[in-house]
Formats: sequence, structure tokens, C-alpha cells
Amino acid sequence: MKYSVLFIAIILIAVALIAGCTQQQTASAAPAIIKVGVIASLTGPASNVGTSMWQSAQVAADKINADGGVTLKDGSKAQLKLIVGDDESTQQGGQTAATKLITDDKVDILVGGYSSAVTSAYEQTIAEYKVPYIVTGASSPIITHRTDIDTSYIFHHCTTTDTYGQYTTTFIDQVLRSAINKKFNFTADRPLRLALIYQDTAFGKGVQSAVNDTITKNKLNIQLVAQQSFKMGESDFRTQLTAIKAVNPDAVYLAAFPNEGAPLITQARRDIGLNTIFFNVENNDNAQFYKDVGQYGEGSIIESRFSPYTAPAGAVADAQNVFKQSYFAKFGTYPDALGASTYEGVFIAAKAIGNTGTTDKASVRQALVDLKMPQIIEAMKDQTISFSPDFRESTFDLWMEQLSYNATLGETRPAIVWPDNLKATDFILPSWYVAGSSS
Amino acid sequence: MDNLGVFLQIIFWGLYAGCIYILLATGLNLIFGVMKIVNFAHGEFLMVGAYITATIFFLTGINPYLIILLSMLVLIGIGAVVERFCFRPILGTGKLNEIFLSIGLIYIFQNGAAMVWGDSWQSVKSPYDGITVPVGSLFVPLDYILIMIFTAAILCGLYLFLKKTTIGMQMRATSQNRKGAMLVGINVERIDVISFGLGCALAAAAGTLWIVSGQVFNPYMGSIPAIKAFTIIILGGLGSIPGAIIGGLLMGLAENGAAFLLGGIWKDAISFVILIIVLVVRPTGLFGEKGE
Repeated sequence: MKYSVLFIAIILIAVALIAGCTQQQTASAAPAIIKVGVIASLTGPASNVGTSMWQSAQVAADKINADGGVTLKDGSKAQLKLIVGDDESTQQGGQTAATKLITDDKVDILVGGYSSAVTSAYEQTIAEYKVPYIVTGASSPIITHRTDIDTSYIFHHCTTTDTYGQYTTTFIDQVLRSAINKKFNFTADRPLRLALIYQDTAFGKGVQSAVNDTITKNKLNIQLVAQQSFKMGESDFRTQLTAIKAVNPDAVYLAAFPNEGAPLITQARRDIGLNTIFFNVENNDNAQFYKDVGQYGEGSIIESRFSPYTAPAGAVADAQNVFKQSYFAKFGTYPDALGASTYEGVFIAAKAIGNTGTTDKASVRQALVDLKMPQIIEAMKDQTISFSPDFRESTFDLWMEQLSYNATLGETRPAIVWPDNLKATDFILPSWYVAGSSS
Repeated sequence: MDNLGVFLQIIFWGLYAGCIYILLATGLNLIFGVMKIVNFAHGEFLMVGAYITATIFFLTGINPYLIILLSMLVLIGIGAVVERFCFRPILGTGKLNEIFLSIGLIYIFQNGAAMVWGDSWQSVKSPYDGITVPVGSLFVPLDYILIMIFTAAILCGLYLFLKKTTIGMQMRATSQNRKGAMLVGINVERIDVISFGLGCALAAAAGTLWIVSGQVFNPYMGSIPAIKAFTIIILGGLGSIPGAIIGGLLMGLAENGAAFLLGGIWKDAISFVILIIVLVVRPTGLFGEKGE
């Protein structure tokens, strides 16, 4: 009995000492390494964009670490360590990647996320573990607007489908309409015939919803003459395009990934003979897209905020160029728009941790809420990166590009045509363009 | 475009899609007919065939329609190796082993292709890109006409091979009665290798014709077509080559018809709706009892 009491006492003292030592260590030790988890689609249908996001994150971490790392509260410096999680372009893959990064790798913060359907599937895990997550690719507003889970740790640093859907529809109404009316001598009250073909996911439906809402709310004289859908990863669009051609649209708006957008336009122009203007979402502003679409991209429009092949004159042009050159030197190709926001996402993560001086997740979340940092490589509203108080969304300055074919390169290249303060050239209707008709 | 024009155009796209399915499903049925094995990795042979054609095309610039034969020959070799070292050891040990082996092969081929060729989407530009020809009231790209001609030629070649050559007759005999074939002196293991190689070659032809039509491809392109090929052979009747041909055409037409009438999201689903109906009405498939 006497020995049992003694044994228990020794165990209790030992546990108390170990606990004390551990507590002291936690309180005093600053992390020399900050673990940043990057969720990207490295395989599957979205691998092209996902690879750009992951590689852009690496360029950002290299730059931050080369500049000395992140300064913490105690004045010490910490280096960023990126850990990638491949969501395999699937919801199950995304869930696995997020869980592994959070529970096994114990990351301090997360950046990335492409495909709204995939990202929304693992948001529950983010909510459960309360890990700050800067989403830089999934563009559906549901990412931070949904109410069925706690999204307070999720911050949206990429344009939402609401924003660019509205922006593109406004361009169609203001610029395309007047160009068509002028060229074909149509009356000003002629309804513009717009067709929509969208990926049947949260992303595609988000664009569909934004276009419909913009037309309705602003009472635009645009008639949606076709709304066709396709499954994510589809490669044969001929039937839907045939249906679209049958209703004679003035333009076609595509809500598609680059691996879908390029064959869509190619099949439309080459196989169906649909000689019209195609509008693309910003994720198509991607080097592989330009390569795949070839001469069939001539005349097409891309809504963008960052392009591998052009930049608006002004404050961000030099910064974009430095990023593109660093990226090219490391990977032999150019980053895309979602790569750019992921590059910035890593800087935002570093800034938030630096501002709060700790990797404590609640503190980092608050630092992101309070964040006001100068724009990095993309033009932001008020030249500042900050997140809106309601849905934690940052606001980008957007533009529209028109593609023209460069026979020497065998690829199209973009030029900014809208808005007026950023444009390098005017929007033109190509000579082969055929206006729509109701008969 | 009037309603008839739209209808004919949809039929045309259905026939084109059917050609790819026919080649893939016929190869799968050839293997199943002779060896009675279930190979879920058949779509990966389509993918490898596509990459071989694309690689040779990128390196040499040779007309991809000419490379199709080389791609098929390479796939005969790859198929023979897979049959000899993967499927033969487990032949007759149960369907579960075959299923798990083929699932393993899917990952091996996909990851292997990603290591060799990368996993980005790629595309091939046909030398006939942009050329259209009149077909009745339609103007269709020459490539699609060539794809249909090549499919028909390959199927005719297969028919003659199976009907007129000794090996073809031995394959049919093995398919009809494996033990009987062994008793009359046919080397069924040799027939297995040839059948598997030929099945893979047909998948390579499907892969080549897929990419010359301008469709993008990556290492994961084979998964969905393989599932559809299985649907087609069950629909047409297991082991029946005429069933695979009719089933492939039906599938191509049904998919495109559904995409037009019901929307793109029904394109894949319609295959399974038809499959369920056929299985309920005729469980052996359309040609299950009378087929070869």
C-alpha cells in the first residue's frame, strides 16, 4: 500500500513536470516554420489550372523566404513551408486532401481550392477544425455565402461568378450590342440574342444565375435564346453546340474550364460552323488554353484580372512581369489568373501571420478580417487587398480581352479592349462574324 | 438551320461517337468472348494508343491516320505482355481477382502515362483540320468522314480475319467452347495472347480516332469510355461482336439525342437508362444468345 501511494505520487509529479515543461515550451517557442497547406487540382480534369496554382504558390514562398521569411511577434523570423494536397479534381479527393493537410500535416493556414463543387465539399472540415483558408480559385459565391456551415474561417480571394457574370453581361450589353447594331445597321431596340453553355456544377450554375439576374435586374435588352449544360470534364460538345446554332445567337457565353473552353470553341467554329463571338471566364486566361484553341480563338473574349500574355499599363504591370519571369524561370511556362491569386494568397497568409505575430488560428483569422495590405500583382479596388465584412471577399479590378491570331506563333494572343481606362485597343467584330437572327 | 438539318446533324454526331464506342467495345468483347475475363482497364489501352499516336505525330509530323497502324501494333505488344504477366496467372481464379487486377492496372497505366507524358490536357491538330465536305444537306468536317471510313475498314478487316484465317477460326472456336478447342489441339493460351493483343489494338484505334477528331486528351481520358464500353457489351450481349457494333451505334445516337432533347447532363446517364431497360426486357442483351 505504501509503495502504491509512493508510485502514484511519483507518476503525478512526473506528469505535472512534463506538462509544465510542455506548457512552458509552447508559450516561449516561436515557430521557425510556418506550414502553409496548398489545395490544388494536380490531377484530373482541372489539373492544368491546379498545377498553375501550386507552382505559383511555390514562387511566392520562394520570394518570401528569400526576403527573410515572416517576422513574428517576438521579432524572430519564420520560413514558409508549403505542403500540397491534390484534390484530384474530385469532391472525395478534396475531402481527403483537406483532412490530411489539417490532421496529419497540421498546417497553420490553407490557400488554394479550385472548382467550387470540389471546394464546397470539404468546407465542413475547414469549419470543424477552424483553420484559416484563403480560397483563390473556386469562384462560386456559395463558398463564403452558404449558411449551412460556419464559413467564418474562409476568405475568398478570387472573383466570384456573380461579379464576373455581371461584368461580362454588362460588356455584352454596352459594347457588343453597339458593334453589332453599327455593323449590320440594326435598330437600337433590337434584342441581343445570347446563348449560354455552362458546366453543370456550382461554378457553371453560378455564371448562369449571374447572367440571368443581371439581365433581369438591369432590364437589359438581352434575350437568352439557349441555355445548354455539360458535365465537368466533358470533351464532346457538338450536340449542344448544334442546338445553339439552331437558334442563331449573336454571341455565346461559355462557363467552362480551360480544358473544356478550348474544345468548345474549336468544335463550335470548326465542326458546327458557329461563326460568332465566344465569351470566356477568367480561368481560361491560361497558356494551355491559348495553345489548344489555336486559330479558332480569333475574336473571342476573355474576362480577366491577370493574363499570361498581357497586362494593363499602370502600377501592377511591373509586378506582374516580375512574377511571370520568376515563374517562367522556374517552370518554363507562364502562370494563369488563378495562379496569380494563389501567389497573392500565400503573401496574404504570410502578412496575416506577420501582423498577428503568431500562428494561433483564431488570431490569424482575426488578422485576415482586419487585413488591409497594398495590392501585390493584381489591380484591386482602392489598390488595397482587404476582405468585405459580410462575406470576406476581396474585390478585383477586371477587364475584357479580345484574342487575335498570331500565325507565327500558331496561337492567339489577348489585348485588353475594355474598360476605356485600361484598354490597349478597340473591340472589333471579325470579318467572318455572322449576326444572329430570330428566323 | 432547319429542324431536319438539326436532326441530321445530331444523327451524324451520334454516328461519329458510335464509331469510337464500337471500336472500344468490340475489342473488349473480343477479349471477353475468348478469355471470359473482365478488364476494367480497357479504357487505359485507348489512352495509351492515343498518346503513342500523338507522340509520333508531335515528333515526326506524319499524318496521324497513317500512325494508327503503328499504334495498333504497339498495343498488340503491350496487350500481349499484360495478358501474359497479369491476366494469365489469375485466369480461372475468380472474377474478383480479375476485377481487382484490372483496377490496379488502371492506376498503373494512368500514373505511368502521367510520368511519361505529364497530366496536362493535350490536343492534336489533324492535317485535314478545317476541311468540310458536303454530305446530303450537311457540310461536315472531313475528319469525321475519315473516322467513319477507318472504323468500317477496321471492322471489315476484323471480320475477314475471324472468318477467313486459321487463327481467326481458332479464336471463334475458343470463344464458343474453350475445352473443346483444347481437345482438338488448339493452343488456347496462344489464342488468348492474340485475342488480348487484338482487343488492345482496337482500343488503340479508338484512341487515335478520338484525338484526330480534335478532342483533348490526358492520362485519365480512358475511364469514362471504358465504363461505356462495358455498358455497350452488356447491352449488345456479352461476347457478341455484332452486338458491340449495334450497341455502340445505339449508344452514340442515344447520348447525343439525350444531350439535345434533355440537356448535356443526361448524356452519360442515358446509357445506363437504356442498359436497365434492356436488362429488364432481355437480360442476355440484344444479341446475347445468337451472337458469336
